[in-house]
Amino acid sequence: MSILKGKNVIVIGDRDGIPAPAIEECVATAGGNVVFASTECFV
Amino acid sequence: MSGNAVVKGASYVLVHAPDFVINYGTTQTVERIVNPDSDYLKALNSSIRSYEQVLAYPPNQVYLGNLTPKDLEDFEFPWYDKQVADAKRFGKFGELMPEDEFIALMQICDAFDLVVLEENFVAKTKEKLTKHPLITESMLSKLKDGQSLEAIKEYISEYNAEPLYFEREIVGYVKRAHEIDVNLSAEVLLENLAYKASGVLALLHLINNSGIDREAVDYVIDCSEEACGDMNQRGGGNFAKAQAEMVGLINATGSDTRSFCAGPAHAIIEASALVKSGTFDNVVVFAGGAVAKLGMNGKDHVKKNIPILEDVMGGFAVLISKNDGVNPEINLDIVGRHTIGTGSSPQAVISSLVTDPLDRAGLRITDIDKFAAEMQNPDITKPAGAGDVPEANYKMIAALGVKRGELERADILNFVKNHGMKGWAPTQGHIPSGVPYLGFAREEILEGRIKKAMIIGKGSLFLGRMTNLFDGVSFVLQENSKEAQTEDLKVSVKEVIEPLIGIVAEDSELGKDNVLEAISLAENKGYRAILIEGEEAHKKMDEMLRRKEIDAAVTMNYSFPIGVSTVGRVITPGRGREMFIATTTGTSATDRAEAMVKNAIYGIIAAKASGVKEPTIGIANIDGARQAEKALRELQQKGYDIKFAESARKDGGVVMRGNDLLAGTADVMVMDSLTGNLMIKLFSAFTTGGSYESVGYGYGPGIGEGYDKIVLIVSRASGAPVIAGAIEYATQLVKNNCLKLAADEFAKANRSGLKQILDGLKERKTAATEEEVKPPAKEIVTVEIPGIEIMDIEDAAKTLWAEGIYAETGMGCTGPVVLVSEANEAKAIEILTKAGYIN
Amino acid sequence: MDLENQKRVKEFAEKFGPENVVVVLGAGEGEAAGLAAETVTAGDPTFAGPLAGVSLGLKVYHICEPELKVEIDEAVYDEQISMMEMVLDVDDIVNEMTAIREQYTKY
Repeated sequence: MSILKGKNVIVIGDRDGIPAPAIEECVATAGGNVVFASTECFV
Repeated sequence: MSGNAVVKGASYVLVHAPDFVINYGTTQTVERIVNPDSDYLKALNSSIRSYEQVLAYPPNQVYLGNLTPKDLEDFEFPWYDKQVADAKRFGKFGELMPEDEFIALMQICDAFDLVVLEENFVAKTKEKLTKHPLITESMLSKLKDGQSLEAIKEYISEYNAEPLYFEREIVGYVKRAHEIDVNLSAEVLLENLAYKASGVLALLHLINNSGIDREAVDYVIDCSEEACGDMNQRGGGNFAKAQAEMVGLINATGSDTRSFCAGPAHAIIEASALVKSGTFDNVVVFAGGAVAKLGMNGKDHVKKNIPILEDVMGGFAVLISKNDGVNPEINLDIVGRHTIGTGSSPQAVISSLVTDPLDRAGLRITDIDKFAAEMQNPDITKPAGAGDVPEANYKMIAALGVKRGELERADILNFVKNHGMKGWAPTQGHIPSGVPYLGFAREEILEGRIKKAMIIGKGSLFLGRMTNLFDGVSFVLQENSKEAQTEDLKVSVKEVIEPLIGIVAEDSELGKDNVLEAISLAENKGYRAILIEGEEAHKKMDEMLRRKEIDAAVTMNYSFPIGVSTVGRVITPGRGREMFIATTTGTSATDRAEAMVKNAIYGIIAAKASGVKEPTIGIANIDGARQAEKALRELQQKGYDIKFAESARKDGGVVMRGNDLLAGTADVMVMDSLTGNLMIKLFSAFTTGGSYESVGYGYGPGIGEGYDKIVLIVSRASGAPVIAGAIEYATQLVKNNCLKLAADEFAKANRSGLKQILDGLKERKTAATEEEVKPPAKEIVTVEIPGIEIMDIEDAAKTLWAEGIYAETGMGCTGPVVLVSEANEAKAIEILTKAGYIN
Repeated sequence: MDLENQKRVKEFAEKFGPENVVVVLGAGEGEAAGLAAETVTAGDPTFAGPLAGVSLGLKVYHICEPELKVEIDEAVYDEQISMMEMVLDVDDIVNEMTAIREQYTKY
């Protein structure tokens, strides 16, 4: 069963890992519905 | 000299701030609200490091320049339990300032009586600061007598002031500056004053390290993440000038540049462009540290039984100057930029910052010896789950190299080791962003150990909730190409053809033949001149100058703007010496003494542009001579290079008698232009009975600040030899680039306070003619009253003084303003309205 | 995890039902990924935010995990993520994430 398709997806990106907008683009191609996306910053 | 700007010096400072960590770091202030009884808050005190521990912490010793980034590799990771054996407070880049001295420095930097300190604390700390090598007497004099601890505690509880602590005890407070405006709350002002003081400390060390003359700094750019203003202009800014003021950069203007952590890289590119374009010669890019970020990852540190490592504020300053043929250059042809369209995937970001600019310059990743992206100390970030930030950046660059086929995947770790460094900077946002390496990079390039370094700034714009965009810019610091000097050589080789001098002499009393004879005399000596004739010959001449069809012009009856006058050149009869008469026609200024001071500078310019390397200055013994002498000596004292001549008469002195004029005792003889006009006619025609000027070089070029053409004057009575002399004079001025020389000379004089000295001459005059009004006792003035004519602004202030209201004048956003205290606002407006200054 | 983000996660879980929500992380380290995953499953381990003591048990993945990668368009993944795969310690991240999911995810 697919993980993302048709699901409401919350994206928590990381400035020093992968930022949220890059993840959003990926999730969209898998049919996930991004309801919230935010990038965290530890520095 | 043209070419890329250079990095002439750098400073890096740290401030030990444990009590700021506990009381004002946002992690702690938030925890106190959300979870007041938390274990973290209980453990805080015992997790704080002492000054000695912070000093001996290896990354800090690298930041100050006592160790190199390479030395850091010798310390086994983690570093918080390692110590540098012979740790020093002062390093070649700066210092680690103890907290008590820093709190006193905050008061020194406070212009609005906001910081109040406890009496014993002031006494003790003042003594310590007296020994500081860079804190001057005048800075120390800003420390105020302290108050009793009782009074301090009472004020804090009554007026919501923010207490200042040292060694966990209250030693003073910061007041709020407004009852309602959160932007002027005590907490914000405490942060801003601490920011200002740490930036000032960085500036002091930069001046010391680079040896730059304070008055030679033209522009300052603050590039932090802080904001200052009030509720109507929350980010009004100009921290830059507030800090530069404290260290006496009196000739500098400036502004703030912001882009989160990427601010410094943006600011350095801006500074380099300002210098490369010739707009400014010396630009300082700098920043102080952030109180809010102190202890930012403290919870993670405490949880892992690590002391709180974010216990220092950082600061840095970099001097960007005109190419000197020695220091490393900032190559503005290789500028990386994250554009709005770049996107935010890590590879898009790194491509835009690293490989795109290198591709444009035809370089490969491995052509850059060292990269400096985000130099955060991994000792701080790793326990907090943010990883090793510099290493991640190096891996990203290497991974991109792998994707592009420039590197093998197996080479990634080698690339990180060879082209990267261990991070050593405190996590103070803008502080670690590429710039910590500039000081080391400059030295390594100067010593020939590396050739090129890339500095990368990256910023998280999304934190401001205005955009999801990322940001970043990068630039390359490289070995000085010495191109600047070769360019100068090229010019001298190219100019084998003599400059062409245009002549307009329609009004000559001696006829056209006289002019043609002059041209042929000049041509015999190898000079080139053409006659410009016909109606509106002056207009034609100006056109030809503009189109550079002629390089300079010799003419008569030409009108110069006010501020421009001509420097004549004669052969003195006594010794046959050449002498410059400054000046002979035109008006330098309407005030006589002011005009003579300017004439001296014009004379120096003309003499230097005629090949006299160090011209001596004499002042003709006429009305105004003593005033002019006093002003010129003041200018000399403030750094402008003037060589005064000594009268040949027995009692000497710089004021020249008639005998000195005949003997040509000084290279440049200063006088007002009416006297000068009389003199040059005498010197040029005394052998011919007066109707024919037979000797010398004529009345000379019009010189004035900003005047941008070379036009020389002869008179209607100038004979062929004098006009030929003028052509020779003009040719020399062109060849020696008189206009550039003039601009440089004016810049030097202005840096030495020429404008203020001239204003002083004028002020004395007005003060003498007006009734003396003494200002009432000084108080803090914050209310601006606009709408007063600029010419009346000083009188308006004096009118208020006469009524017992203390007032200052200034420039507001819409024009001149009078400033008074809030309490006096209504009364002041009433008085000014009544007196007719405002409607 | 940022307090505001915790609040939003909690709200969305209540609004859509926890079984219909998936959290995707981009953390730079295994440990940080694990902490964030723990926050949206077992609750905030730092007890600072709205998810302190709230066990949502949400389904949570890191974007570099293979199960997620197969669902994503290859070209987009290559453009947005592939470089970081070389930078991050993916194995460590996968181990942390798997451990948390096995222990706390309810859906």
